[in-house]
Amino acid sequence: MKRIAIDPITRLEGHGKIMIFLNEQGAVDNAYLQIPELRGFEKFVEGLPVEEIPRVVTRICGV
Amino acid sequence: MKLKIAIYWGAACGGCDVAILDTHEKLLEIADMADIYLWPIAMDFKYSDVRAMKDKYLDAVLFSGGVRNSENEEIALLLRRKAKTMIALGACAHLGGVPGLANMYTREDIMNRVYLESESIDNQGKTLPLENTRVDGHDLELPRFYNVVKTLSQVVDVDYTIPGCPPASLQIYSALGLIADDMLPKTGSVIGAGDRALCDECPRKKGEKTITRIYRTHEKLPDAETCFLEQGFICLGPATRSGCGSRCIKSWTPCRGCYGPLDDVSDQGIKMLSALASVLEPKEEREINAILDTVVDPLRTFHRFSLASSMLRRRKA
Repeated sequence: MKRIAIDPITRLEGHGKIMIFLNEQGAVDNAYLQIPELRGFEKFVEGLPVEEIPRVVTRICGV
Repeated sequence: MKLKIAIYWGAACGGCDVAILDTHEKLLEIADMADIYLWPIAMDFKYSDVRAMKDKYLDAVLFSGGVRNSENEEIALLLRRKAKTMIALGACAHLGGVPGLANMYTREDIMNRVYLESESIDNQGKTLPLENTRVDGHDLELPRFYNVVKTLSQVVDVDYTIPGCPPASLQIYSALGLIADDMLPKTGSVIGAGDRALCDECPRKKGEKTITRIYRTHEKLPDAETCFLEQGFICLGPATRSGCGSRCIKSWTPCRGCYGPLDDVSDQGIKMLSALASVLEPKEEREINAILDTVVDPLRTFHRFSLASSMLRRRKA
């Protein structure tokens, strides 16, 4: 089965790729959007002094 | 001749890219100075375009973000091979940055929190991202999520560093000018920043520091003109490189050290601890410890941006 990779997807904030799988007739069998990036803010802001939260979580997205 | 440059992000937030865009009309001068061959946030080039380049084809790569997973590392190695000059852009590539705080935890701690325990997720099948998975007969791959965040220089040779979270826009512009004019200093230098401590450019008044108590920012309204540290607020100015324009200070917010340490200082957080200990009023160890014990969350205060590059670096597995 033929695969087409759009890697990376562009002109957006963040990381992503699209995998497209074609069948024997060349039609799209299925397509997947994948997000290959994770940093884990959910974990490492736990227990952070509350007054420091605004200047940490602003680094989730700088766009 | 026009420069050939690439701009890339690893484990980043896009703030460094926006800092480049925030050069406003000077962006047109950057466009006159350089042709861009990869810039995911703004232009549609693919990794395959980079792989097709001859080695050393690019004059410079501006790499923001830390190295969190195997894709970040693979692209860092690829761009290093294609570039004459590799520049770490911003605190994450330089020091690990805020995402480097993840080094307080293991890979499993983070995966479980995000994909299994998060209050906003419904994951009854307890699905976790896998490097290789098969869905409806299709094989899909994801990068390997490392157990540790690495700085760019822990993965590839870095020629220059533009510090900051984010770097001041005009500093990026002037650093690009150094490349275009072939005026770069010796390899390994920090460019687009000062070479003194932030305190030297801070507009607040400094006198004798004799701290008897540490204050959190909500516990007392700071005086408008006096040094934050003198007033008992922890400010990383003494241990941080100048060049940011005192942006936080001018917004009534003590420094957290995003411009990183000065030359010849390997661990910014420890340098700050040393600076703090030297300005406490008591000289008896017991009294000093009593004050230092009131610092809430010292690790994420003193190593806010630099944990991944520090001597501590990461939690023991």
